[in-house]
Amino acid sequence: MKFRIYRCIALFAHRGLLILNVALLSGIVSADDRAIEIIDAMEELYRGESSFARMTMIVETPQYQRTMEMESSSIGTDKAFIRILSPRKDRGIATLKLDMEMWNYLPKINKVIKVPPSMMMGSWMGSDFTNDDLVKQTTLTEEYALTMEETDDQYHINLVPKTETVTVWGKIDYVVNKDPLIPLSQNFYDDNGRLIRKMEFSEPQEISGLLIPTRMEMIPMNKEGNKTVIIYDELQFDPPDIDESIFTLRNLRSRF
Amino acid sequence: MLLFKLAFRNIFRQRRRSLLTAMSLTGGYVLSVFSFSMSAGSYNNAIAFFTQDHTGHIQIHKEDYLQRPKIHKYIEAPEDLSAMLDANERIASHTLRVFSPSIAYSDTDNTPAQVIGVDLDRERTTSTLAAKVSEGSYINSEVDGEGYYSAMIGAGIANNLDIGLGDELILISQGADGSIANDIYMVGAIVGDRTSSDRSTVFLPLAAAQEFLSMYGAVHEVSILLNDDGRAREEAEALQNLLPDLSVDPWQVVEATFYQSMQTDKRGNAVFMGIIIFIVFVGVMNTVLMSVLERTREFGVLKAIGSRPAKLAAMITLETILLALISVLLGLLISIPLILWFTYSGFALPEPMDVGGVLMSHITGELSPFVFGAPLLLILGFAIIISIPAGVRAALNSPTEAMRSH
Repeated sequence: MKFRIYRCIALFAHRGLLILNVALLSGIVSADDRAIEIIDAMEELYRGESSFARMTMIVETPQYQRTMEMESSSIGTDKAFIRILSPRKDRGIATLKLDMEMWNYLPKINKVIKVPPSMMMGSWMGSDFTNDDLVKQTTLTEEYALTMEETDDQYHINLVPKTETVTVWGKIDYVVNKDPLIPLSQNFYDDNGRLIRKMEFSEPQEISGLLIPTRMEMIPMNKEGNKTVIIYDELQFDPPDIDESIFTLRNLRSRF
Repeated sequence: MLLFKLAFRNIFRQRRRSLLTAMSLTGGYVLSVFSFSMSAGSYNNAIAFFTQDHTGHIQIHKEDYLQRPKIHKYIEAPEDLSAMLDANERIASHTLRVFSPSIAYSDTDNTPAQVIGVDLDRERTTSTLAAKVSEGSYINSEVDGEGYYSAMIGAGIANNLDIGLGDELILISQGADGSIANDIYMVGAIVGDRTSSDRSTVFLPLAAAQEFLSMYGAVHEVSILLNDDGRAREEAEALQNLLPDLSVDPWQVVEATFYQSMQTDKRGNAVFMGIIIFIVFVGVMNTVLMSVLERTREFGVLKAIGSRPAKLAAMITLETILLALISVLLGLLISIPLILWFTYSGFALPEPMDVGGVLMSHITGELSPFVFGAPLLLILGFAIIISIPAGVRAALNSPTEAMRSH
């Protein structure tokens, strides 16, 4: 889920200031290099981090609105486990992500179903997030060329895929607030430069000493009236009870 | 009366000539009847097949579900609609359905499946589903002791998943609220065989399918059988006026691909029919003209001994009509058993022919007053049209000229 990107940004906000200061003091790196340096450093910091979150996901379409509560655990960028708590009908449905692979568990039929590669761009749990959003672990600075522009209170970081990489997006516009340093929005464009979807961050709150936007809205541009909102109800970094045994197919199948 | 008698006698006076003329007319008649029967018949059979198999004569959907099926385009609370259709005496029966593409799983395999939720009682009287059950028996809408609904599965699914009666069937799809629809069902019956069009279909009780897809009482389709199958368009229009919020379509729209291929083919047939009718016309013209021209001398004599030209013309026309009548009656006697056979057994095609998704295995005819009546009028009409100028010409000829011809 975007959760990872969001966390990246959260950490970026936390640690970035320091690095920025260092970079500014040294005064020898360009703005673009600085952007890369920041994000790389941030990703470096991110590895090994674990988290636990409880969140509410609201899927809005012209036909229906659906609210789901779920909890998620993660270690690093490549292990994630999400379990739906409500509504009752869907309680216990779980998703396990290990590296580039993904499985869904459906308790009603007691079946684990691997998400095939062809379904990666399909919707996750009927939301506007794709399965790929959960699985992908692209290192933004490796696969995209970064350019940065500054305004008085915002950084506009422009990510364009490098020629040799295969990416889903033609361009990503990343807007970061300067003070406090938190993400504001991400715009995703296709290869023809058409805006495909927009993610907006809002309602920042201090969690574990970090100022973090607790509300994210994903708005697909090609589906009018559709929107997915994720609200963080609880978020812990490095909780003590998260270990590798959570991220196994065995645990995925366990009765909840 | 005298004229009539004369005409009658004239016919039997020259038996061989009359017999040849009559044979030509009879042949033309039988040929026309056969062509008419064939062009109407083949399609009527196919239409009867699919309207009763699943399409019905009229279907009701929400918005453009027919063209672009989306799970959320459903008819909410169809009870009132159902009651209204039940009260309509021009409607024989109707049934309610929901649809969803899904994936069917056994313990080891999976295969794509089209899930159709049907109102089991109504479906019985509206489509041939009950008759298509090849193994097991038509399911009911009750849950069993373990809380599972029954399902009827196409033979293709049974084969692909290697499951049979009493086995578990797992279905996964997307619900109308975006959730993952997933549930287990008991196989209660197998429908059709591996070649039938239902081979990849799973039929569920309506309530089970609505629960599966989180549709809560809503349906995608109402399929209606009329008492009079020829009035689908008119009745659809009448229903559409009563139901402005829904889309009501006759089978001609529902099975548009088939209907268009049929129309194209029928236009082709019309050309073919035109050629046949022309050949028959030429045949009739030839025989009638010959039988008149051959008798120029005879008519000259009649005029010379004082026959009135008008009477002469009338006699010739009457003769032709009489002969044509006898011929078509004879033709009728020949064609009735022929068309009976053609309608009820017909020619089997070596390979079933696919017409816009509908398989046709036999070329069969149609038995209707039109099939016999239209060629009858056609032949009589031709005979009259040709005999009048021929008679007039004979009447106006000078007797001396006429008698001088051999």
